[in-house]
Amino acid sequence: MINVCCRAIAQLRACRPIPEPQVRELCYKAREILIEEGNVVSVHAPVTICGDIHGQFHDLMELFRVGGDVPDTNYLFMGDFVDRGFYSLESFLLLLCLKVRYPDRITLIRGNHESRQITTVYGFYDECIRKYGSANVWRYCCEVFDYLALGALVLGATTDVPPAASDNENTQSTLPPEDEEVESEVLNANGDILSKTLRRRFAGLSMMSHHTNSSRISPAPDVDVPSPPDHPASSLPLQSSPSSQSLFTPPTSTTGAVLCVHGGLSPLIETVDKIRLIDRKQEVPHEGAMCDLLWSDPDEIEGWGLSPRGAGFLFGADIVRHFNHNNDLSLVARAHQLVMEGYKEMFDKTIVTVWSAPNYCYRCGNVAAILELGEDGSNGGCIARANGDQGRREPVGTDGSEGGSGVLWNLASPGRRYRVFEAAPQGTRGMPAKKPVGEYFL
Amino acid sequence: MQDEPRIYVESEDQPERMLLETRIVKDDGYQKQQDTLIVWTEGSGTDMALSFQEAEGCAVIWYFVQQVQQQLLSLPDDGLSDDALDNISTSFTLNPPELSNLDEIEANIRQASLTQGGREAMAKFLIREEYLLKLIPLVEMAEDLESLPDLHRLCNIMKALILMNDNTIIEHLVTDEIIIGVVGALEYDPDFPTHKANHRQYLSDESRYKEVVEIKDQNIKRKIRQTWRLQYLKDVVLARILDDPTFGVLNSLIFFNQVDIVQHLQNNTPFLKELFAIFGADNKDTKRKEQAVHFLQQCAAIAKTLQMQARANLLNNFIAHGLFAVIAFAVKHPSASMRTTGIDILVALLDHDPNMMRGYMLNAVHEKKIPLTDTLIDLLHAETDLGVKNQLADAIKILLDPLPPSSDPMGNRQNSEFMTKLSRPPHMTQAQQQNEQFAQDNFDRSCRKLFAPLKELESRDSMQNFSYQEVSLFSYLVEILTFFIRQHSIRSRPFILSENLAPRVAQLLLVSQKPLKLTALKFFRTAITLQDQFYAAQVIKSGAFDAILGIVIDTMPRDNLLNSACLELFEFIRKETIKPIIIHLGETYRQKLQEITYVDTFESLLMRYEQLTSEHPAPEHTLFSQDDATPPMTRSNVSGRWQGLPEMDANEEDYFNTSDDDEDDQDEGPERESRKDVSERMQWHRRRIKAEIMNGGASPLSKPLVDYPDDDEDEVMDIKAASTPQTPLTPDSGRETSPPEARTVAERKLQPSPDIKSAVQSDLQQPPERVTEKRRRQEDDDDDELGKLSSGPKRRNSVSSTSSLASQASLRRKKGFLRSKQAGEHTLVSSHVDTENHVEGRKPRKIAISLSNITNKDDNPPTDQKVLNKHAVATEEEG
Repeated sequence: MINVCCRAIAQLRACRPIPEPQVRELCYKAREILIEEGNVVSVHAPVTICGDIHGQFHDLMELFRVGGDVPDTNYLFMGDFVDRGFYSLESFLLLLCLKVRYPDRITLIRGNHESRQITTVYGFYDECIRKYGSANVWRYCCEVFDYLALGALVLGATTDVPPAASDNENTQSTLPPEDEEVESEVLNANGDILSKTLRRRFAGLSMMSHHTNSSRISPAPDVDVPSPPDHPASSLPLQSSPSSQSLFTPPTSTTGAVLCVHGGLSPLIETVDKIRLIDRKQEVPHEGAMCDLLWSDPDEIEGWGLSPRGAGFLFGADIVRHFNHNNDLSLVARAHQLVMEGYKEMFDKTIVTVWSAPNYCYRCGNVAAILELGEDGSNGGCIARANGDQGRREPVGTDGSEGGSGVLWNLASPGRRYRVFEAAPQGTRGMPAKKPVGEYFL
Repeated sequence: MQDEPRIYVESEDQPERMLLETRIVKDDGYQKQQDTLIVWTEGSGTDMALSFQEAEGCAVIWYFVQQVQQQLLSLPDDGLSDDALDNISTSFTLNPPELSNLDEIEANIRQASLTQGGREAMAKFLIREEYLLKLIPLVEMAEDLESLPDLHRLCNIMKALILMNDNTIIEHLVTDEIIIGVVGALEYDPDFPTHKANHRQYLSDESRYKEVVEIKDQNIKRKIRQTWRLQYLKDVVLARILDDPTFGVLNSLIFFNQVDIVQHLQNNTPFLKELFAIFGADNKDTKRKEQAVHFLQQCAAIAKTLQMQARANLLNNFIAHGLFAVIAFAVKHPSASMRTTGIDILVALLDHDPNMMRGYMLNAVHEKKIPLTDTLIDLLHAETDLGVKNQLADAIKILLDPLPPSSDPMGNRQNSEFMTKLSRPPHMTQAQQQNEQFAQDNFDRSCRKLFAPLKELESRDSMQNFSYQEVSLFSYLVEILTFFIRQHSIRSRPFILSENLAPRVAQLLLVSQKPLKLTALKFFRTAITLQDQFYAAQVIKSGAFDAILGIVIDTMPRDNLLNSACLELFEFIRKETIKPIIIHLGETYRQKLQEITYVDTFESLLMRYEQLTSEHPAPEHTLFSQDDATPPMTRSNVSGRWQGLPEMDANEEDYFNTSDDDEDDQDEGPERESRKDVSERMQWHRRRIKAEIMNGGASPLSKPLVDYPDDDEDEVMDIKAASTPQTPLTPDSGRETSPPEARTVAERKLQPSPDIKSAVQSDLQQPPERVTEKRRRQEDDDDDELGKLSSGPKRRNSVSSTSSLASQASLRRKKGFLRSKQAGEHTLVSSHVDTENHVEGRKPRKIAISLSNITNKDDNPPTDQKVLNKHAVATEEEG
């Protein structure tokens, strides 16, 4: 199988579809692997988190060039592999092949486009018909979609920005000076640093090594929720319960987990463990928890709001804050929305949107990004984590409603490195186009 | 002019703020798109779009615009009259094309393309002067000179001509004399300066056209060629740059050509005779037969796009000439791709009119011939190609689906049983009874044949030695069985009982292939969902829980798909308090349940069991408990409405139980908050809603976050009309977001095409994925929507997921985690059926957005709603 798989990977990397029987075999194999995964997969840092791909095969190859190849780099793809672009089939099958070949190196979770209904409208179905003459391959792929996990939990990420991929040593070669802990940095495709943000008292003074737009990293304006202090030294409200004491002095390298989902949160899911009670093997429903995880969006509102998408919800900063607190999360990473800069941190860095399809639809002019989280070497790269049923702290504000009155103390956020890249250069691709119909009778 | 007709858009939040004020002008530039969008171009050249939350509001405004325009047209000309336009049109000219003036030509074309009048004038000029014929030789000339800049200019000119989006021009471009020159120029795309495409080579390759039977009409032959070119343009040459309007024009040109071609063919009896004669016994040319099958498949594919009557004519015509024989030839063909093609044609027929097909099937049974279903069932049992097997399973499912929707578009497969029962007179005539009996007998007979392999499992010794093929066969069989009990729980009883199938499915829980286990589990999950005594008894008797608990114990505490699916099942039983099952579990598996402690589900189940068996069950439990006396008939109808959503119910309830306070229910156990509390809280909220309506305290423009399907329909409507701020069940969720009823956003022509706008926008704010249009509340709409749904792509959808899409779509309940729900009351019987653009509307919804957001990305993050607000996210309260 490994041989077959390697051959298939080679063929797909050349953007050539593999024959139908091989697809069938691949999908069968993939199902066996995916069925063993929980609805929320546990993933250990280091890992590189990627957003929507949307059938932009050549840009996916560019992503691997920028972020490092599998299996040297661990990847987590947050869904929407198909539709829109003209190479959904090659993109998805390549990712699936890599999953079968290196199941522990790559994690795939489901996006709202991994659905029979959506793919019949937005291109993947037509593409399969074009490339194989029948819908069989589409059926096999849709069957696999039903098995994809709904989310992932990244554990053991360090608060330091991960060592650059070019440094092959495990030690961090570019440790910042003591008081200038880098919280996040943005690199271009060549690995040049575009900008950095620092933790704690330096947080306000973003240091830009290049002349880039400073609004990139600063959090989106929070409407009326005062930002919780970023550092233990800051004064804390008195009503904090003693049990949250440990939060005052988090070990510098220990972070909360990072929840990765395609869309966002759901009003039906208060704890990550609740996701476990979903029977995910089904077409994405039109409502309910599973639907919300794949369809919701963060928005500058308080509480929950109707989603203009017609599925899922909008959720505000207070929701994310409480959810992160209640689940010992430091960050929610999600995709699902085009962001021109490739990524966007919101709500005081409690949630980030990662978008990995540059020049979306071959004409949107956006750049793409991937998010690298480093491994915390200090305590085995793993922290004890509760899903909410044990060791959980009470939220500081006793009634979860008043996001403004009670300040929640969230765990230190992991160090984040964004690599921003543009669409693959033309040299590596032809003019993107659909496959023409080979012969015609009418 | 004082009383000029204008459109005003007021801000919902600040009524005094005017977001848009525009005069309606005499111009044909107004368009209504989909049902909720009105677009036009302002005098300043700004493209505008008004997006409405509700189709009705859109219709009202649209009606107004039309009225105004009619009035304006009847008035004497003022300002820019048609004459003036004509003057412009006659005045448009381009200099004769030369390599030296391409710059100028390109600029002129671009300039003229900016206005509707300019485009029309240019189109007239281009056709009248046969300008393209003069332009095209320049392509080769520039190639000979190897002048890339000129070639790029020519390419830009061609693109501009196509994107001016004029039917006549596009049709002109694909004519024989011109097309090669056109795609020749398009081979040199300045966006890809280092690439040269080879469109000419592709399109000149005559061998791509397969003429199975000679078409003598030259006009039709030309149409076939042109259609092929249009498709190539659409899919390959222009795929990257097409905007929505041009895409639409290309599609409609293709469509109308295809209608013409197909109409011609089906009226051409000699042609059809010759075509179907290919399948005669004396013809040994198998290659030609295969091509003829492909030809028919293409016809069938085109037929799908035709209107009902035209499609019926075409297909009936084919059937009369012997289409069934063709299908029979294809499905028995040694090549899997040929079988696939054959079934494709069959599925097209089934999609078109399942009743007709069932009629043929029943006739065959009457006449003691072998019906098609029997052939298909034999093939399914023997088929080795998994793709074909999948298709066969689908076709059989539809053919056997016992109470079909009528061909009437109102019919909907999922609701068919329900609706038929409603409409059927209480006393059937004798003939009807006979028909009914016959249908039932045939269903039983076919099912026995179909599920025979399942029945034979009884004598199978080991469940560990399943082959690949067997796994797939049993997966499909169990899926079909699940479908039948869900859709036709009554009719399915006799053979379920006589064949004793439930224990056989339970056996499949023991195979080592986990996907098959899951499929079997889904069968039991569905059977339990029916809340039907018969099926509950079947599940209990089958011994399935032995195996299911076995799976839980085997997989726990590992977190995997099987484990989650099992937990979901038990959570459902617990939440819905499925009495017979809980009692069965409590009585039979007490010990086992007690030992499973890694989640609290089983402990809670036992607790519920204690409550149920204690002498005086708390009164509120009767609300939750299934009423065994309820006729299963209604249950089965009800079940249709909520299948596929159980986890929602479960979680929803949890949400109610926990979200009012921040305590973790798992700390204190699930019974922490009694049902009564929940119910009381609901009552309280309801009263508050009512009170607020009475006081009229709500902003009349705001819209409730969530609809409250209530037991009192009037009240629901009242709430909607009065729009109270919704009463939060949890403080968190209480914030009113007041989605605007309509939006006006200025669009600017910054990007090459509106399509880009929709694309960009897609994930910005209101994405094209906006496939569902929720909260459409009018019951009246339901019928229409059902009709649309029934024409949706059901076949593909129902393929393998047990929660078939179409059914979900039609059965979908109101969204509403805040829904006022009385404890114990099954809101599942909600009479609202939401409309689903998922199925009905294939096109992405296009929503206006200001592109300036995107270009000013530095200070306007595109996802930021506020930016949009700034640009006038406006509201328009209709009605």
